[in-house]
Amino acid sequence: MSKPGKVVLTVLLLAGFGAALFFAMRGQKAEQEQKAEAAAIASATELKGLIALDVEPFFADPRVRRILAEKRLPVTVTRIGSREMAARVVPGAMPDFLFPSGVVAANQIADAAAKAKIAIAQSSPFFSPMVIASWQPVAKILVANGMAKPLGERTYGVDIAKLTETMLARKRWKDLKGAEAYDVSRGVLVSTTDVRRSNSAAMYLALTSYAKNGDVVTDRAAAEPLARQLAELFKRQGYQENYVNGNFDDYVAIGMGKAPMAFIYEYQLVSHALAKKGVAADMVLMYPQPTIVNKVVFMATNERSRALADLLANNAELQKIGVEYGFRVADTRVFIEAVKPTGLSVEERVTQVVDPPSFDIMAGMIDVVTQEMAK
Amino acid sequence: MTTTTKESVSSRRPLALLLVWSAALALVACGKSEPEPAAAAKAPAAPAAEAAVFSVLATTDLKDAQALEQMVEKATGVKLRFSWGGTMESTEAVLTGKAQADAAWFANAKYLLSDPQGQARVKLQEKIMLSPITVGVSESAAKKLGWDDPATAGKVTWKTIAKAAAEGKLSYALSNPATSNQGFMALMGVVAAASDKADALAAADVDRGAIASFLKGYKLVGDNSTYLAEKFIEGQGPRLNAFINYESWLLTLNNGGKLKEKLVLVYPKEGVSTADYPFMLLQESRRADYLKVVAYLKGGEAQTWLARQTLRRPISAEVAGQVADLFPKAGGTLVELAFSPDRQLSDGLIDAYLNEFRRPIASTFVIDTSGSMEGHGRRAQLVQAIHYISGDDSSLTGRLAKLTDRERVWMLPFSDRPRQMTYFELPAGRTKARGVQIQEDSEAKQKVLGDVRDYADRLSMSGGTALYDSVLVALEHMLAERKKNPGYQYSVVAFTDGENNQGRNLKAFQEAYAQLPEDVRAIPVFMVLFGEAKEADLKAMVQITGGKVFDARKTPLYAVFKDIRAYQ
Repeated sequence: MSKPGKVVLTVLLLAGFGAALFFAMRGQKAEQEQKAEAAAIASATELKGLIALDVEPFFADPRVRRILAEKRLPVTVTRIGSREMAARVVPGAMPDFLFPSGVVAANQIADAAAKAKIAIAQSSPFFSPMVIASWQPVAKILVANGMAKPLGERTYGVDIAKLTETMLARKRWKDLKGAEAYDVSRGVLVSTTDVRRSNSAAMYLALTSYAKNGDVVTDRAAAEPLARQLAELFKRQGYQENYVNGNFDDYVAIGMGKAPMAFIYEYQLVSHALAKKGVAADMVLMYPQPTIVNKVVFMATNERSRALADLLANNAELQKIGVEYGFRVADTRVFIEAVKPTGLSVEERVTQVVDPPSFDIMAGMIDVVTQEMAK
Repeated sequence: MTTTTKESVSSRRPLALLLVWSAALALVACGKSEPEPAAAAKAPAAPAAEAAVFSVLATTDLKDAQALEQMVEKATGVKLRFSWGGTMESTEAVLTGKAQADAAWFANAKYLLSDPQGQARVKLQEKIMLSPITVGVSESAAKKLGWDDPATAGKVTWKTIAKAAAEGKLSYALSNPATSNQGFMALMGVVAAASDKADALAAADVDRGAIASFLKGYKLVGDNSTYLAEKFIEGQGPRLNAFINYESWLLTLNNGGKLKEKLVLVYPKEGVSTADYPFMLLQESRRADYLKVVAYLKGGEAQTWLARQTLRRPISAEVAGQVADLFPKAGGTLVELAFSPDRQLSDGLIDAYLNEFRRPIASTFVIDTSGSMEGHGRRAQLVQAIHYISGDDSSLTGRLAKLTDRERVWMLPFSDRPRQMTYFELPAGRTKARGVQIQEDSEAKQKVLGDVRDYADRLSMSGGTALYDSVLVALEHMLAERKKNPGYQYSVVAFTDGENNQGRNLKAFQEAYAQLPEDVRAIPVFMVLFGEAKEADLKAMVQITGGKVFDARKTPLYAVFKDIRAYQ
């Protein structure tokens, strides 16, 4: 072989070798980067959070776990009662975040944190209005008696002040005008869970106290007699399910004969419908006017959990998954589009919203109702 | 310390990457020498058979779902096993924390869950299926009452039912109101219908006359649905023409082909009480297994199986749609009876049922006092059992076991032959004009209870075992008493610890029994199997006399006596 030929060959060989080496190295580097990525994800310390039952299925969702891991914000969550969370506000032993159901519990936590000089950032990535799940024949009776009006196809607005008056007047269903379709001697009552243990029942107390008072109850002296008067709305129900889904289970599984009107979070029926668990043709949603919108309040206690708050509120995929669990999110269209195919009717815009009373007032009213129920 | 590291991952990227790099390298380096996979292979996962049993205390009406043990294990790997108990007994076991179970599954747990102590015991709960309590009426009787016409049946209330019972047109089988959910809720239905209150009943609302009317038709007593179903098939006729039970059991009977005539199911208007079968976690440490089991039970396979095999309505609306054909379409909405959480009402009603409303008990206790009873602490167990039913245990089950107001008891000890009978009669209590409440024992009642305990203390043991002769004497005695006082519920409770070795044998007993008047069939014999008694012989005897054998070989004798009380 000629010298130049040798040189060319050597160059070629070297180039080939170099290229091979280059590509091999590059492949190795990519692989190493992937491994590093995986290791980084795996090594990101989990954020510890105390959460309400409402968002437990959300955090258990594998897609949510994947996204949070990719964003280096994995979590371990423990479900406890929202009203028990304030007691966990302890300097030096704070969870990274708390995610209570409802602003009442959130305010209680915020108070405790302020006293302990712990900075907390609040946001509400998910929310759900309180509604009365009911049945077409029942809703029509309420309309005939001036207590409700149709809002859309299978959605109604119910005048909570008039309904409260009717219940306190101890009217029976069969006493109402046009009650042929529900000609029952039981009293007109909305069923709830146990107010002593559950937030949704507390929201019912908040709402009926607003209705009776004509405004949000802010006066401690007025709260007590009001609660004493409203206690019968709970007591007359007889046995109440004392777990959060009990009242809702009775509504969907046993039906109108057990639960003509059930006070629930909108998300309970929406998630039921989205999971294709069956929407009966005569199920309707009645939106109290006014109603309370229950926010699931994300409370961040440090920089990383604040990053998680941003992610929950702004990541389109997480917001979409939240909707799958029945929640409303900032972009109402996402919610409406998701619900449309299920056959369930929801009210697009929930107007006439009031706040529940302060934590102290609420706690005082719940105590009064508890005393009355023990009598 | 770790917190600092993880903060840096997000905030200071280059350093973080470096750390990650070295961490990754360290992992790779270790990877080869890591002995984990081999170790894992050497230590195989515990086989399913060794997995800890997930024990479930279930009410006896769920016995038809026992096949779930295998289904759950196969689908989830959780080794679920049932143990059985009556509703009240099981409620008490959970309330007091004595239930040796990881979970409980009751037809209805409202009695348990209306108590703060009960709420604290139950960590999680999920309703699994539904079955309303209904009145199954023999077709011919339904025709006479007009209830075969759906429009008329749709208007039948518990008040209508009580009236038909009082007029002798409805004679029914029902499990004991003091021990079972079906019996108790039927009474509550009558109370609610008679009070005409819009909601939340209280103890003072009880209309005593209505309950008395309803109980006039109560002909077949028992404490579990299997026993009642057997006896109902045997006795169905003009004197036993209805069965009040869960829809699931009545539909099963209708499909089973053993009834003399089918039952028309009547759903009392505004008085249906639906069992919702909550499955409840008791032991926090078994939460993970519990969640697996619940997910399976609420899933399509189990829900469909439960609907098809046990005829309970699915809780899953989706499955319910697929199996709707299995269930009758009652005209209109089934309006539920509100369950009153008022313990004064429920406890008062049970107490009043036992001591005042129910047909009083008259029974002869045939007691083995043969020589063999002296050994193995048997005499002590017997004395304890008699003390138990004449004691002052105020627990739920204690009140059930205890001798009730107006009750008549004859003690018939035997050895080589029947010995002398001793008679005790419990006085009637004071009746309230209105409502119900738990009554304290009067002095007169305390005196009789004391006499019964003294009697037990004095029992002496010697001689052989003339079981059949003694049971025959007891039956003849009950027959004679029944003729004099037909207003009582008669039965014989016989207890033996050995084989019959004196007097008549089984064959001779059978012949003698055949000679007794037909009315003897209304007097069941409840046989207690103890010590070396021969199970086959006792079973053969209750085949002849009607009744049931109770096994006290593994269960304490007093507990068996308590069980028998629910059948009397």
